[in-house]
Amino acid sequence: MSAIEIRNLCKAFGPVRAVDGVSFTVEPATITGYLGPNGAGKTTTLRSLLGLCTADSGTALVNGQRYVELPHPLSEVGAVLEATNFHPGRTALNHLRVLCTAAQLPRERAAEALEQVGLADVADKRVLAFSLGMRQRLALATALIGHPKVLILDEPANGLDPAGIQWLRGFLRYLSHEQGAAVLVSSHVLAEVEQIVDNVVIIAKGRLVRQGSLAELVSNGDAAVRVRTTRADELVPALERAGATVERHDGFLRVSGLEAESIGQIALDAKVVLSEVAQERSDLQQVFLELTGEGQG
Amino acid sequence: MALIKAELLKLRTTRLWWVMLAVTIAYVLLQLGLTIGFAGQGGGPNGQPIFPGRDTVPFQELMWGLGASGALFPMILGVVMMTAEYRYQTITTTFLTTPRRERVVVAKLGAGVVVGLAFGLVVLALTAVAVAVSVPLSHGELVLSAKILRIAAGVLAVLVLYTLFGVGLGALIKNQLGAIVAAVVWVFIIEALVNAIPALRPVGKWTPAGAGSAVTNSGVDLGLGTDYLLPAWAGAVVLLGYAVLFSAVASATTIRRDIT
Ligand SMILES: Nc1ncnc2c1ncn2[C@@H]1O[C@H](COP(=O)(O)OP(=O)(O)OP(=O)(O)O)[C@@H](O)[C@H]1O
Ligand SMILES: [Mg+2]
Repeated sequence: MSAIEIRNLCKAFGPVRAVDGVSFTVEPATITGYLGPNGAGKTTTLRSLLGLCTADSGTALVNGQRYVELPHPLSEVGAVLEATNFHPGRTALNHLRVLCTAAQLPRERAAEALEQVGLADVADKRVLAFSLGMRQRLALATALIGHPKVLILDEPANGLDPAGIQWLRGFLRYLSHEQGAAVLVSSHVLAEVEQIVDNVVIIAKGRLVRQGSLAELVSNGDAAVRVRTTRADELVPALERAGATVERHDGFLRVSGLEAESIGQIALDAKVVLSEVAQERSDLQQVFLELTGEGQG
Repeated sequence: MALIKAELLKLRTTRLWWVMLAVTIAYVLLQLGLTIGFAGQGGGPNGQPIFPGRDTVPFQELMWGLGASGALFPMILGVVMMTAEYRYQTITTTFLTTPRRERVVVAKLGAGVVVGLAFGLVVLALTAVAVAVSVPLSHGELVLSAKILRIAAGVLAVLVLYTLFGVGLGALIKNQLGAIVAAVVWVFIIEALVNAIPALRPVGKWTPAGAGSAVTNSGVDLGLGTDYLLPAWAGAVVLLGYAVLFSAVASATTIRRDIT
């Protein structure tokens, strides 16, 4: 059974089809990046999965059940969502104690969870005084309170500084790869999650665009290497003998079917000087940049 | 039970509850003070006193019912118990913890009962002190009749029921400022008018204020008349009915909306 299973999910807000027939699954001990530009429907998908929005059609299951049917939701699923906040007058510790009481978790979990996210020092401070990054950490503590095996995070890196993002990555990797949690993390910035995700699901305008393992997406398609040399006539036959396909372009060669390293070796053997060897952007990045409208075409 | 405890913890870990308690105490003290001050003074249509004298039993009965006048404040607290969740966007976490939303509403009502009782006991304690001090000073005799016990129980009931009324109203309106303004306008303007204008009283007795007066009816007529009121038990049922109706309607409508 998948930890998260979304099948044909549809949700419209009036005329806007925010989520339009999205399907994917997330398995235990993996991290899945849920990517898409602003307004793609990521938040709507996650909120529907968590029972905060009612989907128009389709199913969204966690551990094989609808979220609202989970007997102890906080012990199964942890969520960090956008537009979630804290009562400014309540302290961080009290915020978590309320959750422990409501979810019938041991009281000590409140302090432990703060410790886990590095907020132990400010446990008794009112949330009023918290920076955006501290709130984000507190939100993470909220998600971790019941030791869930499924984590759902909507743009968790928002408001974190580079050190905080680094910490978050390490933390998610630890929870997933060492503790076996299934992690679904959304982002509109590929670079934010590229280093940690095993799988990727990309949506745009509510529709699924691509999904697969990161390795698959990066390797499939025509990830090619650009090579610049003044002696193309000597290099091309050598590369072709080694099984590569070479396209000649104005001023550079586009070589596919060989790793950059082998190309370098062949050039060395042929005593050809290379002025540039560059891996083209992976397919994943191409797709994503085109979707977000930041690509060059 | 766990959810009710969590709701009470939410209240105790923020400051509003004691602000409201302080306002309630101040307001009820004012009412008690005014009643003591004007007791036995002339001013009625034929020069007879409006308020019974301090040495009389009706004075004590009147005093014991005054606590109900503070009901607006626990009612506002009840409203805020619900609306603050939307205002501060904590509702997401609340519903993630308890995805069956109607349970959240029920837990808030349960916590509202506790809040109303606590406020009611404080208000009755104030009344007890005020009566115990003012009556002997005027050489009256302290009584604790069945009627007074009924009135005191009525005060408790009114505070509890108004708190529940507030929770229900908050669930229905969701917008904090809107719900509080609605509550204040309702209590101070609409209810006051409907219960003061004789022609409207057949309606008035069914309003929360009319029902509340029925519950704490001391039979002391302050010029507005009390005969039109429902019997005390019926008043309590009407008040409870409002709270349950609002909460049920809210659970079926506003509370079910998408949280985005
Ligand atoms: N409550 C709502 N009412 C109306 N439209 C909404 C509502 N919530 C979302 N939408 C619309 O649904 C679409 C998807 O929004 P959603 O918030 O799911 O996108 P997102 O991928 O999370 O974007 P972002 O990266 O900006 O967070 C958008 O067009 C948005 O305008
Ligand atoms: Mg979003």
